[in-house]
Amino acid sequence: MAVNRSEHLANVLETHRMNHIDNLVQKFRDKRDDIKEALEEHYTSNIYSPLNSGSFGKHTAINIKFDLDVVVPFKRNSFATIEEMYNAVYDFLYEKYADTGLAQVRKQKVSIGVIFKADKDGDQISIDVVPGREISVDSYLDVRDLNIYFNEDTWGFSKGTYMKTNIQSQIDAIKSRDDERKIIRLLKIWKHSNTESYKSFLMELFTLKAFDKSTITGNLWDKTEGVLRYIKDNVTREDFTLKDPGNPSNDLMKNLTWFDRQNLSNKMKNIIDRITENSENIKTYFPVNKDFDTTESYGQKGSSVLSIPKDDQRFG
Amino acid sequence: MDKKDLQYCQYQKMISVLDKLRLEKIKSTISEIPFVSKINRIEQGELFVSGNIEIAFEELENPLFFDFLITQEYPLKTYSSESITFFNADLIQYNHVMANGNICIHTAHSEDLENKIWIDFNALKAWIIKYYINKEKDQKYEHLVVQDSAVNGDKYSFTFTSTGKVFQEGEIGIVKLSLLHDGYHKKDHIYNFYVQYFETFPDLKKNCFWNDFYFKQPTDREGIYLFRENPPAKYNRFAHSTWAELDLPQDILTMLREFQDKCVKEDYGKIIPFFLGYKINSTEIHWQVALMEVGKFPIKGIPERNEGKKTGRWYTGIDDTPIHWGISRNASYEYFFGRGKFCDAITEAKILIIGVGAVGSMIATTLTRSGCRFIDFIDHDVKEPENVCRSEYRFSKGINNKILELVGSLYEISPFVTSHQINNDYFEKYIKSFYTDENIRAYITADLDKYDIIFDCSTDNDLMYVLNKLTLHSKLINISLTNHANELVCAFYPNIYNFVNNQFSNVLENDVSDMYEPTGCWSPTFKASYNDIALLVQMALKQINRIFSGEKAFNNFVIQENNSSFKIIEY
Repeated sequence: MAVNRSEHLANVLETHRMNHIDNLVQKFRDKRDDIKEALEEHYTSNIYSPLNSGSFGKHTAINIKFDLDVVVPFKRNSFATIEEMYNAVYDFLYEKYADTGLAQVRKQKVSIGVIFKADKDGDQISIDVVPGREISVDSYLDVRDLNIYFNEDTWGFSKGTYMKTNIQSQIDAIKSRDDERKIIRLLKIWKHSNTESYKSFLMELFTLKAFDKSTITGNLWDKTEGVLRYIKDNVTREDFTLKDPGNPSNDLMKNLTWFDRQNLSNKMKNIIDRITENSENIKTYFPVNKDFDTTESYGQKGSSVLSIPKDDQRFG
Repeated sequence: MDKKDLQYCQYQKMISVLDKLRLEKIKSTISEIPFVSKINRIEQGELFVSGNIEIAFEELENPLFFDFLITQEYPLKTYSSESITFFNADLIQYNHVMANGNICIHTAHSEDLENKIWIDFNALKAWIIKYYINKEKDQKYEHLVVQDSAVNGDKYSFTFTSTGKVFQEGEIGIVKLSLLHDGYHKKDHIYNFYVQYFETFPDLKKNCFWNDFYFKQPTDREGIYLFRENPPAKYNRFAHSTWAELDLPQDILTMLREFQDKCVKEDYGKIIPFFLGYKINSTEIHWQVALMEVGKFPIKGIPERNEGKKTGRWYTGIDDTPIHWGISRNASYEYFFGRGKFCDAITEAKILIIGVGAVGSMIATTLTRSGCRFIDFIDHDVKEPENVCRSEYRFSKGINNKILELVGSLYEISPFVTSHQINNDYFEKYIKSFYTDENIRAYITADLDKYDIIFDCSTDNDLMYVLNKLTLHSKLINISLTNHANELVCAFYPNIYNFVNNQFSNVLENDVSDMYEPTGCWSPTFKASYNDIALLVQMALKQINRIFSGEKAFNNFVIQENNSSFKIIEY
């Protein structure tokens, strides 16, 4: 029996909801709040209120892969340089969490990772702290622009440089866009389940642009297919851009090689073609999270009838 | 005259009439060719049409004369050679002229006599312009023209590789040889040897680049070598025909005498190869091999003279007898796989194949024939006679451990592949039991990461699950088939477990109601012939080669027959 693709995708989203792992999420929140308080206490009037960003801030998190990001907006005169700010926050977190044996603290691409030791349940909590400095004195509360530091060569930026971004604009860009958020979550599920290296932020911007620039309607599968098709048709266009809502001069397409673009287009085509040919293929690209699946199995062969050999038997 | 004789006479008459017609056609066609300035003769012999013509055209300062022979097959080729031959013995110093003055041409096919004559005469003119007038030299090295011959009814061949070492002008030494196999070279019995190493004094070995299997074989014979800058040939093309022409230095003549003296009693009549090495370009050398019979080495004692008077001392001189050349072949890796191989990312990779049933054994032999150097195996199974029909095993080896037999086959195919068997318990017991332990998992991962590519052809779902749980740097490739080999499923780590399961559980029609149930065996197996399986495996390997060469992305794929054509469906 053919799979109802929309129902399947709805179930995929349901089984990847964060509320299935409330206890774990609460542990993340507690640790995040702990870090926020520590930073506020230490830097007092040199910082504005830290804000939640990343998938939690945007409500696009999935329960198979998530982390909590905290953006720490520093005032313009808090540090002489952006690099100094980044290193000072690292030193502070290292002293507070690494020196005390509570966590491992490491410098990452633009953030500082705080990876707490596994608790009694075996859960390991990691929080990414992103320090940013306002562009000009007292401008943050009005425009929300921040300069963030690049600690490694990444996204087309070299180590030691910095880039303007606006986390609030990124969050606002996705606010109240429920349909888009569903597709973004599905694309993240695809990305993680199929070990694709494309950045989640790229998938997010593709989805928003697809909804803005083409007609994405119908049921959940229709909308998903619409976005996949938009990516397939546009990613290889030379004039195609994907601008960061937090910094329109940051075009994410510039970080993709021509091979990456062609490859992504091919992948989108393959997904559409394979699912169109045989709806069972949707389970390859968008699998349910079996840990939280309460529906009947989709008539999985060989699972209910004892037969030798089973009809899922492989040969070679 | 009886009836048979009469028929024969009539047949001869008919042939004679046809020959005349053909001769006239040849004559008239040649006479129309503008650069054939003169026809001295064209006549029908018993077997051939022969003739002599003069060629003249504007760029040619003086006319050239050529004899020619046309055989009965003309205009068709015979044994891949032209059935027309042009000769001019005065031109043998020019390129593409054989020792008997035969101009070497290869021309287009035509079944039409007149057309073919035009084609071949134009080819002769093209040769004259390129090699006689312009004296062009080909960039590509061409081997010497060597007339190999049998000694006492036996021919000998010697296969070598480059050694990566430098040979000096005048260097002499010993060559250590092992026998591959004897066989037949056309009508002659032949002994086939390969060179293990060249050894010069004092005790410096220059090894050929064979794998350990060939390098560890006992040496069966010794030869002598002399290295020179220039080939042992006239016009750098025709191998010398007598020993005197080689103009051997005194130290090698002395060495030959001592060598023969040492072995003449025990090895009288034995053939000893004399290797003559020379440079073919700035980096490569080649060896021609002359055959010497113990007791009849081409040397003789010559009395030393001082102002015409014998001094009473003797020295070793050359005995000017004809040279019997052996056959020599450079089988270095780049020549052995020169006609086609997989990309370097595969051939230079350390490869592990898990499971050597039909699919695994076909992958192993294909990788070996495609230039792979390191292939290890893991499989606990024993080959039975019924495995032979659809895998790379042989009836002649009987009931045998699969890996043992397969590795033997691979060594027979390639002298450059090295293979080992990994302990069966490694996967069946160790990995499956301890993969959940973080520390042991790190060891397992490190072990597997010694391989660049791992083919999992085991069809073991449990192993597939466990391997997919590891954090590997190796490229793990899972390959399996549906019943009747209707489809082949190929998945790349880390997207293996879910993909393969979904294919076999939900996507593909894997009809297992029609299985082969061997008599006396509880375990049915799939139905498919060697042809069914090999077709899919070869297509899969072609796709994998494209992926590793960077032409394609690492996308999982399924190969499926669709309306009598096979399609690679990428995911």
